[in-house]
Order: sequence, then C-alpha cells, then structure tokens
Amino acid sequence: MNTILNPLYIAVSWVIVTIHKALSPIFGADSGISWSLAIVGLVILIRVILIPLFVKQIKSQRALTALQPHMKEIQKKYKDDRQKQSEEMMKLYKEHKTNPLASCFPILAQAPIFFSLFTVLNGIGKNPPVKHGVLTQEDVVSAANAKFFGAPISDTFLGTNITTVKIVTVFLIALMSLTTFTTQRQLMLKGMPKMDSSNNMMLQQQKIMLYAFPLIFAISGVNFPIGVLIYWSTTNLWTWGQQFYVIKRNPTPGSPAYEELQRKNAKKSGHSESPTAEAIEPIEDLKGQRNQPKKKKKKNK
Amino acid sequence: MRNFIVAPIKFYKTWVSPMFGPKCKYYPSCSSYAVSAIQNYGLKGIAMSVWRLIRCNPWSHGGVDYAVKEKVGV
Repeated sequence: MNTILNPLYIAVSWVIVTIHKALSPIFGADSGISWSLAIVGLVILIRVILIPLFVKQIKSQRALTALQPHMKEIQKKYKDDRQKQSEEMMKLYKEHKTNPLASCFPILAQAPIFFSLFTVLNGIGKNPPVKHGVLTQEDVVSAANAKFFGAPISDTFLGTNITTVKIVTVFLIALMSLTTFTTQRQLMLKGMPKMDSSNNMMLQQQKIMLYAFPLIFAISGVNFPIGVLIYWSTTNLWTWGQQFYVIKRNPTPGSPAYEELQRKNAKKSGHSESPTAEAIEPIEDLKGQRNQPKKKKKKNK
Repeated sequence: MRNFIVAPIKFYKTWVSPMFGPKCKYYPSCSSYAVSAIQNYGLKGIAMSVWRLIRCNPWSHGGVDYAVKEKVGV
C-alpha cells in the first residue's frame, strides 16, 4: 500500500512544504499559522483543480432545461414502466451529449489524496514524528510543535491531558460534524428531487444517515491529529459553500430549490399577471411527473 | 462467496448512496451493475464492475448499460 501511495505522499507533502516555505517569511517557519495555512492551502488547491468538473456539471444541468419537453414526453409515454423510463431518459442524455449527473469520480479522486494527507499528518503526529514524502526531519519536528490556537498540530483529543488541546480538538470535531450535517441536510431538504411516500424507506435511511455520519466523525475524530481535523473542516466548509451556490443558482430540476428559483425568476420577469401564472403552471405539472424517473433510479441504486 | 462480495455493495446502496443523491451517469447505476455482474459472472464480474466505474467519469455521456445483456431487469 505504501509503495502505491508513495507518489501521492510526495505530492501532498511537497504542496504543504512549498506553501509553508512561502508563508514562513511572513508568519515565521515554526509558526502554527504557516503550517495550518499550508494544510488549508492544500485543500484549496485540490478543490480549485476540481472546479472545471463542477462547472461542467452545472453546464449540463443548464442544458437539461432545453430537454424538458422531451423528458416530459418520455415520462408520459412510459408512465407505468419506470425502468423503461429511466432507460429512455439515459438514451436522451446520451443522444444530446449531456448528462446532468456528476459520476462518482470527484469523490473517488479525492479519497486517495485524503488518505495520503492523513498518513502524512498522522506521521507528524507520531511520537517521535515519522516523515513521509519530501518532508525533512526538520520540517516534521517544526510542524509537530507548531500550534493551532495554542494546541500542537500533531496532538489528538485522546493523546493529551492539556485542556487547550481538548478544547481545540472538540471545537474542530464539532465543526467537522456540523458542516457535514448541514451540507447533507441542505441537500436533502432542497437539493434533491422530491420523493413521494412510496419512497418512505429511502427517506428513513437518509434521515438515519444524516445523524449517523456526523456521529461517526465525532467518534473517529478523537483519534485524529489537529492537522487532519483542520483539513477535514476546511474541505467540509468548501463543499458546503459550493453546494450552497448550486442550490441558489443552479438547482437540480425537480428539486424544491429549483421550484423556488423558477418562482423567483417568474416574479422578476412577469410584469403582468398572466405570464407569472403561466410560468408557475408548468412547474407544478413538472413536479408531479419529475418524481417518477428519479424514484425508479434511486430505488435501483 | 458471491453474496459475500456483494454484501458491502448492497450496504452502500441502501445506506450510503441515498445521502448523496443520484450521481451515476449510467442506467442501471454502477452499484446495481456491480451487484448483477458479480452475481452472474463472479470474478469476471468484479473486473467488469471496475471497468464500469472507470467508464463512469465526468467525460462520459453515460447511457443504458446492463451487466447481463439479454436478461433485462436487475
């Protein structure tokens, strides 16, 4: 495992060391600010690299609006056969070379990077510190002793008796859990196409996971060094911000956020009463029908 | 044995996947594809599932793609 991930250790540690070096003249080489910002910088770099994918997805979601009539036709035609409906929908996307779904690549791509960072930061957190990638002994010692709000970056909640460290780790773990919770709650309430009562089972599972995920984070977080907690909290904040933008500006068709936006746009463009009413009408219509394909798809997932 | 391999995928399908909303570019989704591929083809099915995951990327246009071609229904 280590040999496979070694190039990633090098890449991750190189980015951290480089940012740290750039910040050292400003904040000082052993300063916690330099090391913390180096970790934050790594998050920003990864997420910026992924932005084109994000933009691509938004563009295909916009293109979808043009396909709405076709989609409705399919929904009407295969009202009673949801499998066929989903198939036809996919064919339509393919035909028009647009697909509103993101694929799991963005998540899968980040996993090894996160794992590498975890190993690199965990190495710093070891006593004595273990160096990975391009980190030198000097770097490792400096990073391990650097303080984030008074707590050494290498410390974990369980591995310390110092009150400051306990407070800082608890704060970061809470931030990590809270951002996960709000991001998923926002997605559930506004970002996803509505589900009807026949999807109760799935709603139930979603609800359980909504609370289970932050709980799992909270439990495992007590073993994470502060550096990892900084990384995770930053990533979560970024994800939340990105999703907030999507929900406000480019919501998935059929989701409550989409209807909200349509209503808002209709209000803005409608000078007289009739266009407003017209604009709202198809949305209501759409709401009832859009549920069908999504429901099937999710059931099969 | 096959069911043993499929179990974590099924767990993902029921518990993890609903949290993130629909993501897959294909129909059936990669996880459904993997379940049917592994149950029908065993080891070869694992390779097929990996290949499907690779094909399901941001540059793909997706489409309809069953693991078992003749038998429709997962």
